[in-house]
Amino acid sequence: MSSKQEIFNALKSVAIEPQPMPCFDIAPRIDDLVGQFEANLTTVAGTLHRDGGLANLQATIDKHIAQGMQVISMVDGIKGNREVTATAHELRDIDYAVIPGDVGVAENGAIWVNNKNLGHRVTPFICENLLLVIEAKSIVANMHQAANLITLAPGEFGTYIAGPSKTADIEQALVVGAHGACSLNVYLT
Amino acid sequence: MKIALFIPCLVNQMVPEVGIATLELLEKLGHQVILPAGQTCCGQPMTNSGCFNEAKKTTLKLLNAFKGVECDAIVCPAASCLVAAKENFHEFDDSPEAQAVIEKLYELTEFLHDVAPIPAFSKPFPHKISLQMSCHGIRMLDLATPSEQMGPRMNKFEAVLAAIPEIDIVYPDKPDECCGFGGTFAVDEGAVSAKMGKDKAQAHAATGAKYAVGFDPSCLLHIDGMVRRQKLPIETRHIAQIINAAL
Amino acid sequence: MSTSTSNVHAHKAEIFCRDESRVDWHSKALWALREKRDRAAGSIPEWEQLRQIGSEMKLHTLSHLADYLEKFEQNCIKNNISVHWAKDGAEHNRIVHEILAKHQVKKIVKSKSMLTEECHMNPYLEERGIEVIDTDLGERIIQLAKMPPSHIVVPAIHMKKEEVGDLFHEKLGTDAGASDPLYLTRAARRHLREQFLSADAAMTGVNMAIADKGAVVVCTNEGNADMGANLPKLQLHSMGIDKVVPDLDSAAVLLRTLARNATGQPITTYSSFYRGPQDGGEMHVIIVDNGRTDMLKDKILAESLKCIRCGGCLNTCPVYRRSGGYSYNYTIPGPIGIAVGAQHDDTNSIAWACTLCGSCSYVCPTKVPLDKIIHHHRRLKAEAGKLPYGKSNYMPLVGKFMASETALNCSMAIARTALRMLPGSLLKPFSGAWGKYRELPVAPNSSFEAWFKKNRG
Repeated sequence: MSSKQEIFNALKSVAIEPQPMPCFDIAPRIDDLVGQFEANLTTVAGTLHRDGGLANLQATIDKHIAQGMQVISMVDGIKGNREVTATAHELRDIDYAVIPGDVGVAENGAIWVNNKNLGHRVTPFICENLLLVIEAKSIVANMHQAANLITLAPGEFGTYIAGPSKTADIEQALVVGAHGACSLNVYLT
Repeated sequence: MKIALFIPCLVNQMVPEVGIATLELLEKLGHQVILPAGQTCCGQPMTNSGCFNEAKKTTLKLLNAFKGVECDAIVCPAASCLVAAKENFHEFDDSPEAQAVIEKLYELTEFLHDVAPIPAFSKPFPHKISLQMSCHGIRMLDLATPSEQMGPRMNKFEAVLAAIPEIDIVYPDKPDECCGFGGTFAVDEGAVSAKMGKDKAQAHAATGAKYAVGFDPSCLLHIDGMVRRQKLPIETRHIAQIINAAL
Repeated sequence: MSTSTSNVHAHKAEIFCRDESRVDWHSKALWALREKRDRAAGSIPEWEQLRQIGSEMKLHTLSHLADYLEKFEQNCIKNNISVHWAKDGAEHNRIVHEILAKHQVKKIVKSKSMLTEECHMNPYLEERGIEVIDTDLGERIIQLAKMPPSHIVVPAIHMKKEEVGDLFHEKLGTDAGASDPLYLTRAARRHLREQFLSADAAMTGVNMAIADKGAVVVCTNEGNADMGANLPKLQLHSMGIDKVVPDLDSAAVLLRTLARNATGQPITTYSSFYRGPQDGGEMHVIIVDNGRTDMLKDKILAESLKCIRCGGCLNTCPVYRRSGGYSYNYTIPGPIGIAVGAQHDDTNSIAWACTLCGSCSYVCPTKVPLDKIIHHHRRLKAEAGKLPYGKSNYMPLVGKFMASETALNCSMAIARTALRMLPGSLLKPFSGAWGKYRELPVAPNSSFEAWFKKNRG
């Protein structure tokens, strides 16, 4: 008998009575979504740029490039100085990655990104600094609403990103910048 | 009301003053109080150790002491024993007579809050008291909202005492963290139990209160042992003693 | 003293308690997490509703587990994900090794997975010439120190920064005496970047497996799971059968409570959904039983499989905070460690490392009734004749003694007299652990019953 069969046989003796699926009727907090989003993004060590949109972002990037930084942009209309590489590993020296976010979540400051917009899946993690672009109108109240809006087609990868990477594994002291990006700036359009 | 006292063995043998205060305060409130004979241990030391067979005899004996006793309520000045009695009666006897006993069981604070509230106190109690929020009363008898739970707060223990004139109620740090008594835990896990008890005793003393007041005599006995070992300037009291002094 | 006696929880805890300032430090660090959790939970009005829904959703899934696992596998296959089934840890390790051997993997980077700890996978692979690099900072610290995790979310919580500094100086060449967490974390970042970039394969645990999508969800704050899984072409994910949830909505409920309950964050930095391998890559999911179906056969123990491994119960547990993660004789310590580990505990003591205070059950984001499960374990142990601390000898006596009013009254009268008359120095040796740490009770003159007869009789 295969191990799968053995496990399934054992599952015939589950002692829990069949339970119905509960109803997820949770009222969303819909006041000032951008304000909520900004407050929560701040608590997860990210920064929101409400004004200036893409022009502001491009100006910032131009400054970085002038300083010799390596910038890759996956956002239409934003120009960096690097293209998508042949292998994921070649992204190791990227200083700034600019990536479009699909859905923002007000309750926790998280932004959903889908691998269609990443080039390589590792892009938002391997870059030293991450810049996410999100439309104000795509910010929703909570994770329940986000679950109905995110795209994750068969074979795809997607991730909620809430702030820069961080750790508190040494004596519970918060250190921003663990293995993923060391900073996160979010540009609202 | 006609009240039958359920006096757990620990109260009977080691802290009779808690039983006396309970009796006196209920009488002052105009209740008729009786003490059914033949009360034994609720079986908690055994069932909490997993030893249900060993608990059966004493539990049923205690249950029998109350079966058929004519009364409106059975009141117990020890939350943990009361919870154990309820659970163990149910475990070992599913008869309607047992159910009738279980339905009349009340912990003293619960009784004074839910069933027969105190109309008025006649004397002030001009002292600072630090409330000992023992686990089983809080988390199994719903005497107060546990700190882990979110949403609206409720606290019957404080509500009953707060009506006493001039009383000053405070809380220790981590108000409903376990004191470390835990029945046989106090002996099986002596070092951890003692550390928990020491932390709890110090937290009560740090409030500057004159008394640490609780509804569970077993926790109070443990905390009292820690208080005296560390020579802390605080004494333990049972809620019945405070209320009795104010009536 | 037999091995089992020296390994009992109480003995290990007593050793931990000898350094009181360290106990205070340990307890405070964990309580800080509990306080952060309280603030995070309190900030969303629907917290208790989420716990209830989380609990019901998990119970629903567990009660239809075969259906959801089947659905999950079918959908994974559609997404080009290979699914493997392992009935125990040994089979899990064998499957992992076969996959790695087929690809000639020399080095694998791994993000936190309590399941691979449970299966003792690292030594198995290392014995077969595969280098396993734990990439979560806390996990890497304890791996370099050759220690197991002492907490399921913050595995190196028992170590002081100076100790990490010394370890990194020796292993990673950081400056001698340097103990600044920022400096040490940056050193680990540089060290682990090289590992990610040179790994042949990556492995992660699984926080949730989504049945109707055929996707696994992996949550980290450090980004180590995603740096691992998205660089090499081979990715493996190990999960217990209890990790499956019906759909994205269900995962959303747990994502709302997981990080809030663990560390007080509104969500982990990365919550990544893998619904297939990267272009040209391979993705494997290994689904493990290892005793879980046995637990499901017991109605009370089954509820422990609602657990989402947030670690909240450890942080609130007054015993765990004062006895440390290494006192539990199991990979997972604290209340949930007792719940899922007591049946493996040869010392039969961890089920008693608990005051039954119930704080864990109220903290739990899926309402696992931990105190009831621990209590139930004691009953199972007693029924199997496996009681610790001499209970099998004295409990029958206590039972008889307590049931007899005469015996109880006579002996307690003698005890009260002894407590009043004899000096403490003479009594203490007979009072065991009670008198070692506390003053003995002040004994009254008579019992309440005697007083009642005299005054009301």
